[in-house]
Amino acid sequence: MDARTIIESLTGEFPEAISEAGIESPIRIRAYVDKEKVKEVCQYLKDSLQFDHLCSVCGVDYPKRNELEAVYHIASYDHPVVLMLKARLPRDSPEVESVIPVYWNANWYERETYELYGIVFKNHPNLKPLVLPEEMLGEWPLRKDYEGFPNKTARNLV
Amino acid sequence: MDEILGSNEIIGPNEMIVHLGPQHPMQPGPFRLNLRLKGETVMDAEVELGYIHKGIEKILENKTYLQGITIVDRICYLVALTNEECFVGCAEKLLDIEPPERAQYIRVILEELSRLQSHLLGMGEFGEFIGFVSMFMYTIKEREDILTLIDMVTGARVTHSYLRFGGVRDDLPAGFKEKAIPVLNNLKKVISDYEEMFNSDRIYRERTAGVGVLTADVAKSLGVSGPALRATGVPFDIRKNEPYLVYKDLDFKVCTETAGDCAARVQVRLNEMRESIYILEQCLDRIPSGPIFPEGTPYSKRTPVMRVPAGEVFHRVEDPRGEMGMYMISDGTDKPYRVKVRGPYFPTLQALPPLIKGTTVADVAAISGSMDGCTSEADR
Repeated sequence: MDARTIIESLTGEFPEAISEAGIESPIRIRAYVDKEKVKEVCQYLKDSLQFDHLCSVCGVDYPKRNELEAVYHIASYDHPVVLMLKARLPRDSPEVESVIPVYWNANWYERETYELYGIVFKNHPNLKPLVLPEEMLGEWPLRKDYEGFPNKTARNLV
Repeated sequence: MDEILGSNEIIGPNEMIVHLGPQHPMQPGPFRLNLRLKGETVMDAEVELGYIHKGIEKILENKTYLQGITIVDRICYLVALTNEECFVGCAEKLLDIEPPERAQYIRVILEELSRLQSHLLGMGEFGEFIGFVSMFMYTIKEREDILTLIDMVTGARVTHSYLRFGGVRDDLPAGFKEKAIPVLNNLKKVISDYEEMFNSDRIYRERTAGVGVLTADVAKSLGVSGPALRATGVPFDIRKNEPYLVYKDLDFKVCTETAGDCAARVQVRLNEMRESIYILEQCLDRIPSGPIFPEGTPYSKRTPVMRVPAGEVFHRVEDPRGEMGMYMISDGTDKPYRVKVRGPYFPTLQALPPLIKGTTVADVAAISGSMDGCTSEADR
């Protein structure tokens, strides 16, 4: 399974939802995905293209574009290709479908992304803070406009 | 009560909730394990994190690349060198530089030494968790020899700040090979001793064989990597699947077992230590002389202000505990725009509750210990 086959199969199956697909190196590919279609695309990747290993889910903040991105790194236990799948989300109401039905271990990654960036994962069974205290919910500390670093982040200690 | 466990089941008669932790001798670091017990049987379990959250991803965004090296050391002090390798490897890919061959060999030597000391400590702790306390005394002694070797090169025992972009901070000291060979030879002997000890001890066998069994399909669906996955028979090792540094020139095999239980996970670690020693012997024989930074570039030991070209990269290395990955975005300034750390223990810890469900309380320590964890890295 090489990078070109994967890209062609993916864009062939989802011509509308996948955009800006590209090959960075023989083992790294990237694509943008429509935020409504994340779960369907992941299901297809897992069932048809052997992408059975979710490396991570994380958020990235782009205040200049007024956007947040949810980034999924999806790999496989059988081939070395890692797919970077990104979904653009509006910064004021970032919402995306949870991929837990497809990848079980997305659970904690999504909780972490939620508490740090405020990205809401719809239909997540237990969307509550993982590493931060409950009182910090709503401050979204990893967003670029967060002003409490480093003074406020340590307030629970003093 | 049900909120504590995140479960909707009502606590029945003869059931109780027990909190293991945040401080408990069986834990590799502070996290809380909430157990719902019926007699001795674990009915439900939940992990609570956050007791050692350091905000490393945010700190990295506010430090220059060079300062970042000291921060990634602290993700998990046991595997500081592989964390550095991952961070430095990301930046090197963005800068499009490659360390010279000697520097690559030095890195492999140190990372394999680091793997040895991590496995030794992991095994010692595991022995302690299941009531085999003298195991810890044995392994900590051998680990000290390895730390002395690492200390000789890097000047520090646990947090080294040794790797640099395009190379390593210092060359190997004179006489390193002569000091390393006896340590490795001794280690070969004691690994066989440990193996014999594990295999001949009836209590140890009964506490580990058939306990905490993971099958290959379940392990894959839980996202587990490293020795815990290889103990189920899946030969997944980043050093083979996606070779970095000079691993593609070195001869080693990926150690697997088929049982998938606690004993198999320890056996995988024992075999991996033998492979690490074999890799180290090859490296010490083959290491070429030459520069430790790429020639004709401005990169050296001290590159205080370094601007990295804009771009993004995801780099993976094989940590002693599994797959360590970092996702780095650069916007062309001297600080990274975003660094996501994907540690190997995070998904493994997440897989702990389904694994201990249905076992007894005594097995919780054995299963949790056999995963060889580091909460510091799960929390970050």
